[in-house]
Amino acid sequence: MRQTPDLSDVPFFEHLDEDERAEFEELSEPVRFEAGQRIFEEGAPEERLYVITSGTVEVYKSVLPGRRQRLATIEAPTVVGEMGLLTEPRAAASVEAMTMVEAHGVGRDRLLEMLDADSPAACKLVYEIGRTLAERMAATNETVAEVISRLENTAGRSEDIDVFRDQLIQDWGF
Amino acid sequence: MEETLRGVRFFEFLTEEEREEFAEGSEPVSFGPGENIIDEGADQESLFVLVSGMVEVRKGLSGGRSRLLAEIDASRGRTVVGERGLLGESGASATVMAVDEVEAIRIPRATFRRMVAEGRPAAFKLSYRIARTLARRLTRLDEEVVEAIRELENRGETDMEAFRDRLITDWSV
Repeated sequence: MRQTPDLSDVPFFEHLDEDERAEFEELSEPVRFEAGQRIFEEGAPEERLYVITSGTVEVYKSVLPGRRQRLATIEAPTVVGEMGLLTEPRAAASVEAMTMVEAHGVGRDRLLEMLDADSPAACKLVYEIGRTLAERMAATNETVAEVISRLENTAGRSEDIDVFRDQLIQDWGF
Repeated sequence: MEETLRGVRFFEFLTEEEREEFAEGSEPVSFGPGENIIDEGADQESLFVLVSGMVEVRKGLSGGRSRLLAEIDASRGRTVVGERGLLGESGASATVMAVDEVEAIRIPRATFRRMVAEGRPAAFKLSYRIARTLARRLTRLDEEVVEAIRELENRGETDMEAFRDRLITDWSV
């Protein structure tokens, strides 16, 4: 069996020293998802953080009844499940393996314990996650500005709502 | 200075020594009425702890209009603005303006990043705190954008004004 790619190739781990990476690797377990397999299901528990070292995942959300909207296609290396770690352990969107995906999975509870104990490895990982969230926040703020503008501009008028909606979804700050 | 940081809810998770580390790298600043503390679109590289005075938060909308997002009265519990700037590099999403005389404590990004580079636990604790705040806001905003899409889909059946106000209330600075 081929060795799961190393964590040192994942940008989230580049500021961790060798010992800290080893600490994380010891806590995590290598896991493999086949193409089409669901990693998280929208609305279901999100109790693990996956550091994806190879493959591509897609993120979906049920925006309108009966329709599944693709929000993003993300290639390794990346991290999924970080929102469940930092907020409620419930997936806000579905994440699906698009190709064969190799990852390191670590339990949310274990990571939270490490954070409470000020483990440098966990703290550094969350610092990197925080940096990506800060950029996402900036993008989301702009999306919301757009929503508000459109709501104001279209009030009482019949406009091309479909175009706007698709635009909004495309510009999603995921 | 540590005295001033002590009362800040945002910093209550730090030990006394850790607050002191931040205090060493921070500086007191004051702003007159009408002066901008944070400029929308500009690089926003400091966290401000508002100690006294009143600020308003405004967001520019298309067509040169702007909208009041929040008024913050520092005397009713000190408040933190600009925390996203410590972690991210994107420009400020809104303008924060002093309404009257405002006193604040500024923690520059450079100070924070230096502490991170030195592996200081205080900096990581603060980044964990900011990451959690950002994650909560993102989750809420994402849900609301979804709701906006749904509302727009079924437009005409809901109270648009109330909906719009809710989006605005939950805004992050």
